[in-house]
Amino acid sequence: MQGSAQPVLLLRDIRKTYPGVVAVDDVDLELFPGEIHALVGENGAGKSTLASIAFGEVRPDRGTVEARGAVGLVHQHFELAGRLRVWENVLLGREPRRGWRIDAAAAHAHVIALAQRNGLEIDPDAFVDELPVGIQQRVELLRELDREPAILLLDEPTAALAPAEIASFFATVTALAKRGTAIMIVTHKLAEVMAYAHRVSVMRHGGIVERTLAVQTSGEQLARAMVGGDLPPVAARAATTHAPCLRVADLHGGEDERAVRGVTFEVRSGEIVGIAGVEGNGQSALADALAGVIPYRGTIERPPHARIGIIPQDRLAEALVPNWSIVENAILGRQYRARSRRGMLIDRVHAREDARQIVERYDVRTPSLDATVKHLSGGNQQKVVVGRALIDAPSLIVAYNPTRGIDVGASALVQSRLMQARNEGAAVLLISFELDEILSLADRILVMYRGTIVGAFEREAVERAQIGRLMAGIA
Amino acid sequence: MTLAITLVVLTLIKATPIVYAALGGVISERSGVINIGLEGMMVAGAFFAVIVSYATGSPILGLTAGVAAGAAFGYVLALAATRFKVDQIVAGTGINLICTGGAAYGLVLLFNQPGASVQVRALGSNYWTLVVLAFALAGALHVVLYRTPWGLRVRACGENPSAVTSAGLNPLLLRTYAVVLSGALAGLGGAFLSIGELNLYSEGMTAGRGFIALAAVIFGRWTPLGATGAALVFGLFEALQFVLEGRIAWLPPSAMSALPYVAALIALAGITGKVRPPKADGVPY
Amino acid sequence: MKRTLSTLSGPLGAILLIVVLMSLAMVVAGTSPIDGFSALFLGALGGRNELGETLVATTSLLFPALGITLAFRAGLFNIGAEGQLLMGGLFAGAVGAAIALPPVVEITLLLLLGAVGGGIWGGIAGWMKARFGASEIIATLMLNFVAAFLALDLVSGPLKGPLASGAETAWLAPQYWLPTLLPHTRLSIGLVVALAIAVVLQFVFTRTVFGYDLRAVGEAPEAARRSGIDLRRLTWLSLALSGAIAGVGGAVIVTGELHRFNTQLSPGYGFTAIAVALVGDLNPLWVCVAAFGFGILEAGGLAMQASAQVPKDAIHLIEGLIILVLAARRYVAARTEVA
Repeated sequence: MQGSAQPVLLLRDIRKTYPGVVAVDDVDLELFPGEIHALVGENGAGKSTLASIAFGEVRPDRGTVEARGAVGLVHQHFELAGRLRVWENVLLGREPRRGWRIDAAAAHAHVIALAQRNGLEIDPDAFVDELPVGIQQRVELLRELDREPAILLLDEPTAALAPAEIASFFATVTALAKRGTAIMIVTHKLAEVMAYAHRVSVMRHGGIVERTLAVQTSGEQLARAMVGGDLPPVAARAATTHAPCLRVADLHGGEDERAVRGVTFEVRSGEIVGIAGVEGNGQSALADALAGVIPYRGTIERPPHARIGIIPQDRLAEALVPNWSIVENAILGRQYRARSRRGMLIDRVHAREDARQIVERYDVRTPSLDATVKHLSGGNQQKVVVGRALIDAPSLIVAYNPTRGIDVGASALVQSRLMQARNEGAAVLLISFELDEILSLADRILVMYRGTIVGAFEREAVERAQIGRLMAGIA
Repeated sequence: MTLAITLVVLTLIKATPIVYAALGGVISERSGVINIGLEGMMVAGAFFAVIVSYATGSPILGLTAGVAAGAAFGYVLALAATRFKVDQIVAGTGINLICTGGAAYGLVLLFNQPGASVQVRALGSNYWTLVVLAFALAGALHVVLYRTPWGLRVRACGENPSAVTSAGLNPLLLRTYAVVLSGALAGLGGAFLSIGELNLYSEGMTAGRGFIALAAVIFGRWTPLGATGAALVFGLFEALQFVLEGRIAWLPPSAMSALPYVAALIALAGITGKVRPPKADGVPY
Repeated sequence: MKRTLSTLSGPLGAILLIVVLMSLAMVVAGTSPIDGFSALFLGALGGRNELGETLVATTSLLFPALGITLAFRAGLFNIGAEGQLLMGGLFAGAVGAAIALPPVVEITLLLLLGAVGGGIWGGIAGWMKARFGASEIIATLMLNFVAAFLALDLVSGPLKGPLASGAETAWLAPQYWLPTLLPHTRLSIGLVVALAIAVVLQFVFTRTVFGYDLRAVGEAPEAARRSGIDLRRLTWLSLALSGAIAGVGGAVIVTGELHRFNTQLSPGYGFTAIAVALVGDLNPLWVCVAAFGFGILEAGGLAMQASAQVPKDAIHLIEGLIILVLAARRYVAARTEVA
């Protein structure tokens, strides 16, 4: 496992602050050849920052980074040029030449050989944005591997992969480790850590709070270290009545790979229907069609005066105007309602009241109601979005990744409020890439794969392994 | 028959400055920088070509100066876009105003007459070289963009600059090269107008060609050959002005003058939305 | 206080830059900056006549600047103010020479026609953007040229005044001239109209639902779209209104200054107005102040040219530099797709 006793990557006394937050707080870390080292922590714990520092993308305020060998980094959000081909992305900057021209044939052969050496399959001539996400990641990985790095850093590598792709990914990684590459994986997926990692370091609030061997710990221990205690409980589930509130029939919409291709389902009042699936299987098209922002074919039926509350998946790009205050954002999407206006004018008094209500009810930490939203933390921003979506007591709620990228406390609060809304009779459609979230909240679970629903489960009858297979497209 | 030949010849001549500017537009936008300042760079090219030809008596030196002037303003835009990360449209507009205002200022200062310069040594019939060069450059740029390492890297800058950073290259530097080149090309187009076709500089001689070139870039789907084709179409409309003048009684003269602009408008309406610009076009990195 | 200082730092920096550059231009032209600036300020503010001319220039700049401000706030870049000014003036001049109504009615009508003319011109670009996603930058610019040619044709031919010596409409009868604001100067009540529009615009931005929608689209188009705002309608409407405001400016020049329409209506006001809008930080009230500053430059520039031999085109050169510098301060996103 560990070939030699000499570390190949040394981070000493690393400190990095951004305005208002200490991202990395006096961290020491060592990486040895041939090991798979997992760096775990919640969102905002500092793992990605540390990885960027290790890779040399970000300079620390203090401390040293010593790398004895080339370092490769596979980012969480791929840094690929979608409209260029696979080989163009892999060999960018190191293009094989014939005179002053690029030798395309040599490039093609080179990529195939590289892929084979690492047990992967790839089509060098394919355009990257036409590939499924799992294969796109392969391209990014190959680009790094071509440099024969001694150290490979992987930032949330399995966030967008289906369970089967995850297994194949770790097979590649394990093989690389066996050949002596030092591998650090930044992740929050504890099951994978327990299955594949050798050593684990847990980060919380910018510091490393626990270092251990995978064989000497457990998922629960790691979770507790990550969170620093027990999670606040989600609100209890109450008995409810069930009139249909949303009926979707044979819905088609969106484009290409990510389209929704004929889904039919129903959501009733007082229930949470969870749609599980790996990113990129039509969920965005479905959410957009329900929100009315893309054209669609098929039926979407709602009771005529049903109010709908929408929690989009990208709060800063889709739900908020970052430069505006909480007050101004509080009426976005509601500005035509009688409460928010007086004729042609905005009703500023009501807007302020609504903002105050949101801030109080959702425990939004902010110096004032007039604070600019972009200065709030992700969790507080999301609370504003959720609070606004729920403030008018909608009978239908569509929540798309409502706890993505926010801290544990905020997540728990958001999930609680969704459960409360369900208990009070709202119909909730929850689309999430986090299976755990769906399993803990949903009354019924649907699985989406390639734009269609491939499985449906009642809460009591759920079988996690089977959902995983369906998510990956295996029957 | 001679009418057809005249039309073809005029089309080529009228298209040439647009081709230069459009090629500049293509290379700039492919690297991810929208160059609204092409018009100003053409003005700079036209003006400095005349100044230097006047001062040295050599149109060749004038030509070189025109190219250099365009490149210099290209550098200003590149700086604004890469170092200061300003809005590229606003920066380009500023450059346009600087160049047109500066040229007017220079005219008064140097020649003591507003509106036009004195006549200078021009290229004479050598201007045909520039016409041929324009189309040759179109082909050359095509090869460079799609077959050379530099071209690949520039295109990557326009699609996803962080991919370029990941590859260990500097996208800001690459963008700078591309934008300076685009300014040089625009300057060459402007110089063609002043000392190629004519032998002086007059205010307004670029007449919005820098913007028509942008329409040509869109119409040509951000490719050198496509943009050149579109530029030829616009050149054709300009040429039609001269050929048809007075022949169609019911058409007022200004309608013919407006034709290239109307054509650009219609082209814009027809093609936008059906084509995709480089993904990172206009986005500061 | 801090916020005000930070808001002012950009424009103040711009003013400093103007001073430095103009001094340079003066030195290059062979004049000392002291002589140059004295000529400038005396020429702009030295007496009643001079003040009148400065305010006339202010008015002519303020209208297109307010229109551009509206468009900018909606995330749109209107560089067609020049053409919109022209069309507004054309409509006003053509109709004013043709019909005779009671003066108050007619003058109001002419100003409204200015709005219509400019509004149509802006609306064409707005429609193209809303319907096809066509770049409003290129569209408004092309329309500038079309407007220039169209206007020239019309006033050389069908709309040419019977007694006119050049390409222009007939003179408006004196009762249809905008009343003078400052006696014995050329300044008309057009200035009041412009200031009123500025106040209304600020009110619209901060207090109305339309203004809320407009600002949302300008600052966060995707969030705005998902919040139920009709992006296409807003785009089209914003450009049309932007053109309309500029168009009123054209009508004001025709009825208040020239008293007829010809194509020499605007020496580039539509472009200078971009600088005015940016210096005013896209806030209608500050834009008024900025317009006054640029009015001083325009009016004083003529005097500076006459007495100190500094070409006034230096000012346009400097305006370009202002835009470049201020672009560093404010990020105005320009989008090419609406649909």
